[in-house]
Order: sequence, then structure tokens, then C-alpha cells
Amino acid sequence: MGRRVLITGVAGFWGTELARCLERSPEVEYIAGLDVRPPAADLAHTEFIRADIRNPLISKLLPQTRVDTVVHCDVLLVPEPGKAPEQLHDINVIGSLQLLAACEKTEEIRTIVVRGSSAIYGAEPNAPEFFTEDMAGRFPFRTRFQRDIGELESYFENFSRRFDHVSVTTLRYQPTLGTAIDSPLTRYLHQPVVPTQLGYDPLLQFVHAEDAVGALEAAVMRPVRGPVNVTGEGSVSLSRLLRLAGKVPLPIPAPLFSAALGIGGRLGLGRLPPEAVPWLRNGLTIDGTRLEEEIGFRPRSTLEAVEDFVEELHGRRVLPGLRTAATGSATHRNGGRTRARARA
Amino acid sequence: MTPDRHAAQRERAQRLRLDVTAEPPDGGEPAEEPGAGPAEESAARPPEQPPPTPAAKPPPAAFDFMGALRGAVAQGADLPAALEGAAGALPESVRDVVHRAARRLRGEYSQDEWGFDEEFVEIVYPLFELMYDRWWRVTTTGVEHIPAHDRALLVANHAGVLPWDATMMSVAILKNHPLPRHPRFMVLDWAFRLPWASAFMRRVGGVVASPYNAIRLLEQGHLVMVFPEGTKGAGKPFSERYRLQRFGRGGFVELALRTGAPIVPVAIVGSEEIYPKLGESRLLARLSGTPYFPLTPTFPWLGLAGAVPLPSKWRIEFCQPIDLSSYGPEAAEDRALVFELSERVRETIQSAVYENLLARGSAFL
Repeated sequence: MGRRVLITGVAGFWGTELARCLERSPEVEYIAGLDVRPPAADLAHTEFIRADIRNPLISKLLPQTRVDTVVHCDVLLVPEPGKAPEQLHDINVIGSLQLLAACEKTEEIRTIVVRGSSAIYGAEPNAPEFFTEDMAGRFPFRTRFQRDIGELESYFENFSRRFDHVSVTTLRYQPTLGTAIDSPLTRYLHQPVVPTQLGYDPLLQFVHAEDAVGALEAAVMRPVRGPVNVTGEGSVSLSRLLRLAGKVPLPIPAPLFSAALGIGGRLGLGRLPPEAVPWLRNGLTIDGTRLEEEIGFRPRSTLEAVEDFVEELHGRRVLPGLRTAATGSATHRNGGRTRARARA
Repeated sequence: MTPDRHAAQRERAQRLRLDVTAEPPDGGEPAEEPGAGPAEESAARPPEQPPPTPAAKPPPAAFDFMGALRGAVAQGADLPAALEGAAGALPESVRDVVHRAARRLRGEYSQDEWGFDEEFVEIVYPLFELMYDRWWRVTTTGVEHIPAHDRALLVANHAGVLPWDATMMSVAILKNHPLPRHPRFMVLDWAFRLPWASAFMRRVGGVVASPYNAIRLLEQGHLVMVFPEGTKGAGKPFSERYRLQRFGRGGFVELALRTGAPIVPVAIVGSEEIYPKLGESRLLARLSGTPYFPLTPTFPWLGLAGAVPLPSKWRIEFCQPIDLSSYGPEAAEDRALVFELSERVRETIQSAVYENLLARGSAFL
């Protein structure tokens, strides 16, 4: 008997891509997708369930699907500055709580995979360079988003402690790079002149957009317990990233950086969430050994992710649309808009 | 694998020891991929306009270069491409430098996962070599005690406000070791809060002083420098010079035990006189956020000029390595053993410091 998988947030880039991957897998018998709006892409073998994850109704819906695996993609990893923090909190924390309540009622569940964030470690100047999974919570959470992510992880951790037969995997992602992804980070890198902090050159790590979904799929197929870091090997400094992308840095004295971003945002430039300020000053690097050794998935290195992104950015790679057809990796619903903005 | 690495190290030795200006441009110009992008097509034109001027007429070459550069930028080429195009007007030795600058501006250089950039180190190396040779006239002994490959922990006494001792130790290894490698060093984390300093430290091989970082570096087979005295050593008054402070909690011994790395004690003489610390200001330390704020005969009275170190005479001795691998990694839990070994290393360094002080004679002449 094959696996029965439910994906929350199936209309988003991650959910759609994962559903597409799992549809091709012979081991998966049934896929259900949960979201408030239908996915833009055509998912022939996915049953779409229109429901709000924050609504207690899902406690009634979930047991009916008799799924054994839940992949929680409906987590907003990159706080959108346009969205109120309360809304983010609602989706990330309240949504997860409702989902867990529904999971309690579903007897068949054996595996839960959560899309988490490396932001849980915190971008601190005195941090060790490569965080391993057991090093979360060494630094106090500084922003609301970090607190939310921390809270979310603790709920899932408690759940796995209470229900011993369910293995819960939290994937802690480094930022994902890909022109198909519309996030504050990609918008930041799309600007012709990119503001940086004067005198700081942080080390950053990225995940290739295709590997970000690949890691989710791998975690579904080979679940392990507890948190797992997802990152491309190696690191790249911000200055080198901008040089590779052919962008002109605009150094701003660090104490004025967030104020300058605020003014830039009001003038219509890319906005950045508050987490990005320490991240662009101190950087954040994590250790991806566990993903490789226990789940058996090796993402492309940070540098490869950056190089692919830059080639797509400059249109030197095959047209993204054609690539989609060839490799089966879809363009995000916002992809078109992002590219239009890049051209402008 | 080992012979490969040795070849790389031997090549590094050759590169570092040849005088940069005397090095012939042995036709080894970096192979430039022609027309990697559409932007470079417009830049491909400028080099044809000025005929390749021989090195005999330097001023016109410079003018041609600037002219071609301005032309290419006006035509809309980006800076690296314009630089490369215009470099054709320059004499060969300068052209290589411009090519390298252009390549670096495009981001085409290597950087390891710690942010260490070997090429950058080679660019700043001549300055530090000058300090080593002429300013401090460093005498180095026992460099053969540093293993040519695999992990090792260099433990040294610490003095001077800025990490000149770490820098000079690196130069000593790169200059004298038959198979030199770039050592990495632990930096107190407040340096990573500072602009420029943080970026510079990372590029030349500094990492945040954390046992996790040290273990990872050692497991990767690096040479790691630590200064167990920490700020207690760097911030001690001039009257207590060359008296080694307590070696923290012996964390470095734990690192060595856990990773099986040999400890190479290092005695550095001369670093105490570069900034004779006569007093300190608690108020200024609190205001500037530094662990301590030194008052020396020149600093802060002369402003930034006060940060120029005094030209004392230096000696660096690398002592006999101490192999701890026989204890096994579990021994890292044994506090008594850790303290005993830590004390042994401290005494070794202390006596080597006294010997070298005697051997040096006068501090400045």
C-alpha cells in the first residue's frame, strides 16, 4: 500500500512543487492539498481541499482523508513587510496549532514534515560559524517572527513527545534562491543598486529553489525525528554575491540602515523585514551534515545556487518557461511579476 | 592526496617568497573567457583603439588606459569589463594586476566556507612581510615543529592591543616553513561587532573564538592559533609584561584532546613593547564598548597615529609539539588532567619566553 500524503499550503510555490514531485512518485498512492485558494498549476492527481488551516473545521476534514503523512508548507518563512505581524502570527502559530489538533484526531498519521527556518538560531556577531541542530535557543529571540518560529517548533516537538509513534521532522531552511520565488530576498537582489551595511560583509548561505523542494520530498520519503538543517554547502559573502550578480552595492552606515530601508520602502524600493538587518550585518551559517547523512539528500552548494540564480537573472540560462516544461519545475504564480519588476 | 596538497603548499611557498615586483609575468595571464556576456562585446573594442604600447613609455600608457576606460564606461560597459578592455594599453606587469582586479570585481575568486580568501591574503601579505622584516626584525626559530599537514593547535602568549602577534606568527610560518600553510586564528567576538574589522578578520582567516569553530577547523585539518590568555593577556599593564596570565579554563586542552591535534607551544617576545599600556580608562571602555581601553604613551593622545606600533625587536619560537592523542577523546572530560596539561603548556611557554627575552637583549635595538 502506498503513502497517503496531505500538503498544507498547496497553492504556494512549495506546496505546488512538492505535490508535483510526489505525483510522480510510485510510492505515493494519494495526495491531498489544503489551501484557501486552488493551486495555479494543474495538479491532476492531487485532491484539492478548500479550507483555512486556522479554522477548527480541519479537525473534521483531516481524519476523513486517512493520510499517514502531513507536510506543513503553510508556514510563512519570510515575513512580508506588507503583512501585519499579527497575520503572520495567525498563520504560523494558530494555523500550526489547529493542524496539530487535527493530527491528534487522525489515527493513521505516522509522519509530519514541517517547513521551518534557520532564523531560529539568530544572526549574532558572537555566534559560532556553523550551527548544528542542537544549538537552537542559544541566543534570545529578538523579533516577533523568530519567536513565532520558536513557538511553532516547540509545538511540534511537544506533539512528537506525546505521540511516540509519529515522527516529526522540522526542516530548518536557509533562504531559498531562485527567480521563480518572489520573496523580499529575491526582490532585494533584483534591485540595480543594493543597500548594504558599511564595513560589514556577512557570510550567507542559500538553498537552490529546486533543492528546497527536493529536501521536503526526501524528508517525506525518509523521515527522521527532530530538526534538520537545510543549506547549500559552503558560504558566500554578501560582497561577493553582489559582485557575482553584477549589482552595485550602496553602503549605508549600519546604525542608519533600517531607517534607510524604511525610507527606500516608502519610495517604492524593495522592502526588507526587520530580521534582515542583523542577517545582513552578521550573517548566519548552519551545518547541513544531518540532512546528508540521515535523510540522504545533498543540496547543491551555496555557490551553485547563487550561480544558477545569477544566470537566470541575466537571462543567460534557458528561458525559465522552457525549463519548466523540460524539467518539470514550475514557475511560481508570482514569477511573471517578479521578472517584470526586474526588467523595470 | 597528500602529495597533491604538498605540491600546492610548495607552490604557495614559491609564490610568497618571490618578490612580487620581481616576478616575471611568465605568460601566465589568467585565461580570460572571451565574450562571456553581451555586456562585454562593447568592451572588446577599446583595446584595439590604442596600439599595445610597450612598457618604455609609461605616462602615455596611463593616459591611454584612462581614456579607454572612460570610453568603455561611456559606452555602457560595466566596470570589470571596461577595466579588462582598457588594460590592453598597459605594460604587462601592471596589466596582470588590472586583470586580477577586474576578475575580483566580477566576484570570480575563491573563498572557503569561513570566508577566508587566500588571494586577498596574498595581496596584503607584502605589507605584513615588511613589518616582519624591517619594523620588528623578527627572528623565528623552531618553525620545523609545525606539522606540514593535518591538524595542529598553536598556543601562544598574547600581548599588544591589536592582533599583531597573530599576524606575525602567520608571516613567520608562511615565510620560513618549507611547506607553508595559512593558519586560522580565534578572535574575541567583540571584534566581529566592528565594521571593517569583522570583514577583514574573516578574509585573512579569523573566526569567532568558540570551541565549536575550533573543533570544526581542526577536524578539517587546519592549523589553528589560540591565545588562551585572552583579554587578560592583551590588556595587562606594561609593568607585568611577559608574565603569562591564567590560561582560562583550559579550553584549548579540551580541544586538542577531543580532536587528537598536537599542541605546539609558541613563545612570542617583542609584542609586549609595541603598545606599552600604562593605564586604562574604564569610562572610555564603557563608552566604546571594548573590553578595556588602553592608555599608552601615544594613544589616544595622538589619535590614530597613536595606533602605530612601536618598533620593538621580536623573537618567535615554536617549541616541541606536545602529542596528546594517546589520552583519547574521552580524556577531555577529565578536569584534573585538563588543568594539569594546561599548566604544563603554560610553563613551557613561560620558560621559552624568558629564554628568548635573554637572547633578544635590548628591546628596541
